[in-house]
Amino acid sequence: MEDNKDIIQNNDVPERQPLDRKTVIKLNRDIGSKNQLKGWLYLAPALLLLIIFSFYPLINTFRMAFLNGYNGLAIVGGESFNLGVENFKTVIGYVDFKQCLKNTILLCVVTVPISTILALLIAVALNSIKPLQKVFQTVFFLPYVTNSIAIGMVFNAMFTRVGLGDLIQTQGIINNILGLFGIGPFNFVNVGSSWGANMFVVCTYIVWNAIPFKILVLLGGLQNVNKQYYEAAKIDGTSKVRTFFRITIPLVSPMLAYVIITSFIGGFKEYSSIVGIFGEGMGPGGNGQMNTIVGYVYNMLPKSNLGNASAASLILFAIILVVTAINGYVSKKKVHY
Amino acid sequence: MADLKNYNLKELNVRSASRSQRVSKIVGNVITYIFLAVMAVIVIFPFYWMIISSLKTMDEYRANVPTLWPQNIYFENFATAFSKANLKDLFLHTLLVGTISTVLSLVVTVLSAFAFARLQFKGKNVVFGLLMATMMVPGELYTITNYLTVSGRLPFVEEPIQALDFTNTFAVLIFPMLVSVFYIYLLRQTFMQIPNELYLAAKVDGTSDFKYLWKVMLPLSVSTIITITILKMMGAWNAYIWPRLVANDQAHQLITNGLRGASFTDEFGEVNYPAQMAAVTIVSIPLFLIFVFLRKYIMRGVSRSGIKG
Amino acid sequence: MKIVLKNLSKIFPAMGKKNKDVVVAVDNLDIEIPDGKLVGLLGPSGCGKSTTLYMISGLQKPTMGQVFFGDDDVTMLEPEHRGVGLVFQNYALYPHLTVKQNIMFPLQNLKGAEKLSKEEMLRRAQEAADLVQIGDLMERKPNALSGGQQQRVAIARALAKAPRVLLLDEPLSNLDARLRLQTREEIKRIQRETGVTTVFVTHDQEEAMSISDVIVVMKKGVMQQVGEPQKVYDDPGNLFVAQFLGTPPINVFNGKISGGDLYIGDEKIMEVHAEEADRPVTVGIRPEGFIPSEDGVLSGKLRTVEVMGRDCSVVFTNESSQKPSVRAIVDSDIGARFDSTGLVRFNLKRNKVFLFEAETGERIRF
Repeated sequence: MEDNKDIIQNNDVPERQPLDRKTVIKLNRDIGSKNQLKGWLYLAPALLLLIIFSFYPLINTFRMAFLNGYNGLAIVGGESFNLGVENFKTVIGYVDFKQCLKNTILLCVVTVPISTILALLIAVALNSIKPLQKVFQTVFFLPYVTNSIAIGMVFNAMFTRVGLGDLIQTQGIINNILGLFGIGPFNFVNVGSSWGANMFVVCTYIVWNAIPFKILVLLGGLQNVNKQYYEAAKIDGTSKVRTFFRITIPLVSPMLAYVIITSFIGGFKEYSSIVGIFGEGMGPGGNGQMNTIVGYVYNMLPKSNLGNASAASLILFAIILVVTAINGYVSKKKVHY
Repeated sequence: MADLKNYNLKELNVRSASRSQRVSKIVGNVITYIFLAVMAVIVIFPFYWMIISSLKTMDEYRANVPTLWPQNIYFENFATAFSKANLKDLFLHTLLVGTISTVLSLVVTVLSAFAFARLQFKGKNVVFGLLMATMMVPGELYTITNYLTVSGRLPFVEEPIQALDFTNTFAVLIFPMLVSVFYIYLLRQTFMQIPNELYLAAKVDGTSDFKYLWKVMLPLSVSTIITITILKMMGAWNAYIWPRLVANDQAHQLITNGLRGASFTDEFGEVNYPAQMAAVTIVSIPLFLIFVFLRKYIMRGVSRSGIKG
Repeated sequence: MKIVLKNLSKIFPAMGKKNKDVVVAVDNLDIEIPDGKLVGLLGPSGCGKSTTLYMISGLQKPTMGQVFFGDDDVTMLEPEHRGVGLVFQNYALYPHLTVKQNIMFPLQNLKGAEKLSKEEMLRRAQEAADLVQIGDLMERKPNALSGGQQQRVAIARALAKAPRVLLLDEPLSNLDARLRLQTREEIKRIQRETGVTTVFVTHDQEEAMSISDVIVVMKKGVMQQVGEPQKVYDDPGNLFVAQFLGTPPINVFNGKISGGDLYIGDEKIMEVHAEEADRPVTVGIRPEGFIPSEDGVLSGKLRTVEVMGRDCSVVFTNESSQKPSVRAIVDSDIGARFDSTGLVRFNLKRNKVFLFEAETGERIRF
């Protein structure tokens, strides 16, 4: 307000000069100059923290990743490092890393389609019923707010057998249920269990965990679809199946794309679900056979393999960028409007 | 154009059509409900198993033929869980870290969101764009350097600086994660929905920016503030990776780390699953309560971000 | 195809805690819609006209009563078996499909013996598109079309499958004024060319009057009057119909019958019927029913004269008028005389004056 007073007084000059563009800009800037400072002041706490804990780490990660052989300790001896991609080569060359990469990619490729299709079917079914709709909705959203470590431990308990060898006392509830159908028993998570069995358990858990969020988004999308499209289709005698593929899916395709992108990103960052099931050993008996890229990065940290850890995390970043870009490209082609 | 009239229409066959439509409707409904019921059972089952296991004795849990309901309800497990996992301390630590970081985070978020939504200054859009861009970056990328920073290992400094080693303090659990660009974005969007005329009217009346923020904008944005509060608290509750890295000692451990790290193995080397399930149940209860009572706030925030807690 | 609605009622259950009463959207409707005609369902919003349309389409099922297509009772038949074309108020064009795909969509649903070859479908789609003059927009998506073009696509989609009945829900409400005029003639033309029985819903009486062969006036779920537009206008059955039809609206006065004569205020307006009992009545006078005359029977205090080219509106006040002012429409050369304030007097055209019972609004014929 005070700033405005000056301007009003300036206008007291008897003949008003025509203002050129520069003067106008300058006048406006004067009015705003106090706000300039104020704006930055309001932002200061957030920016300060972001600079220390986000922007600097981002740059530093690149620095560490591209210094050959950097491990954070050798610098004490005054050793200097050359720029290069040595770290990336090392990381990619590691058998462990390849295993992690394989696990992570497989997790994504298996769980994303399964959970998306299941969620879509459930959302469509939910959207089509009236009685009990609210009850079912609540049930399906239940796993949404959970602690992934805690529930991972529950999954472990469900799949695990108690006892050893001939002394096995219970096969675990899942094996018991499978037994009803004459299948199994399998060694899902105990020591000596196979990679495939572990993968099955982890994928089951991830799908179970991912479904509520997807149902939520897809159901929201379905409910936003104008009912008249369905009425129009009904008037024209469109079959249920055709309505689903020709109307429902295209009209919720933006939500589908969103859900798929986010679950791919989440899938590539998968870590705590596996910790929940297997503990920090990332595999039965801590053998690490279920480790993921993120797990690999964290395993490196205490060992001060900073160059390698940074390189691995950048590879993760690159994968996520590529996946997002591919998804974005495909969406543009396939997603309607 | 008379053609349109002459296309042969199927005869109206009222009776058979209405019979077939009734049958297919019923069949469709039955299939839908069966599908939903089966999926619902699968979704519910882990929770069910968690709770009934937490109430079983070890002997019953180990029974060859599983019981679907505990034969005698054994609450002892919860006491065991509390002592074995040191749950009381874990609760306190988590509550402390959660509360402080929520309050501080709200202050920082509100100030920045206000600046982005209402104040005019040069470079605003550039900074905002920069912040938005960081949402793309996976947090794992920051963790490595942040781990070094908080343990006093600064770049180009030869030795770790002991005075700057903050590992195993509460501060290190609070500050590095304080600012969430997503929360700033969320609150800015809410602020932007408040008509600019209100701000201009307040300016005309001589209201200061800060007073306007406090008296007008915040009351109008309560629901977003609640959303942020819940998400932040849940963040502390579910945090695992960072706390494990920087503050995993007894005096500072948070609940999820404590839960995963606790040993439920008894003197015979057997895992006490019922006690473990009891601990898991205890950790899950606050989340259930939030889900039951405050669901709409979480959904509002999370459906926009794709992140969990 | 003749459509008959017999005792048709639709009652919606009470919703929520606030509305404890059931809603009677359509109350005991009896209408016969003749074959090949363009019929307008007319009424203010909430009068049940859209519900009626939806019950004809089969999207909503009546609570009571029956719907007949010709001699067939289709009351419980699902919409897809009825062979109706429905144009929605906001058109409901599938946003992800092109115009061509939209129009072909219903044809692709045909199965078994009715199944069409690809060429036949394309031919029919093109034919329908040409009929509504959008034949050159076939590859566009709906959001690249104007409102009027979308409307045409929706009509083409409804016509492509050669429906027994074409239903239009507020077909003009989403168009701007200029397009509205154009489109309503268009609808008339299309209906003439195809000869398909067409029912449309509107709240705009001018729209209904201008194109319908028959209008059905509804109020709060109850049918008020059916007939050719001009007949209904000239011979309204009750006060509601008289008030609803006509722009500017009819002028309504509190009057009375005394000794077989009609009075407005103290002024004796006309003889009615010697046998009519003395009682208060409501008098409706159409704006075009006023003839300025120095010895006129009805007087008023002149407020203003609005000249509108061909004719002009004389606005005056009368204490017995139910509205603050009365509007008379007279030729502009006559109207120009009213240049000073003061009293104006009119004689009345007898066929433009309607009497209604003061209590019920029922028409009193005299």
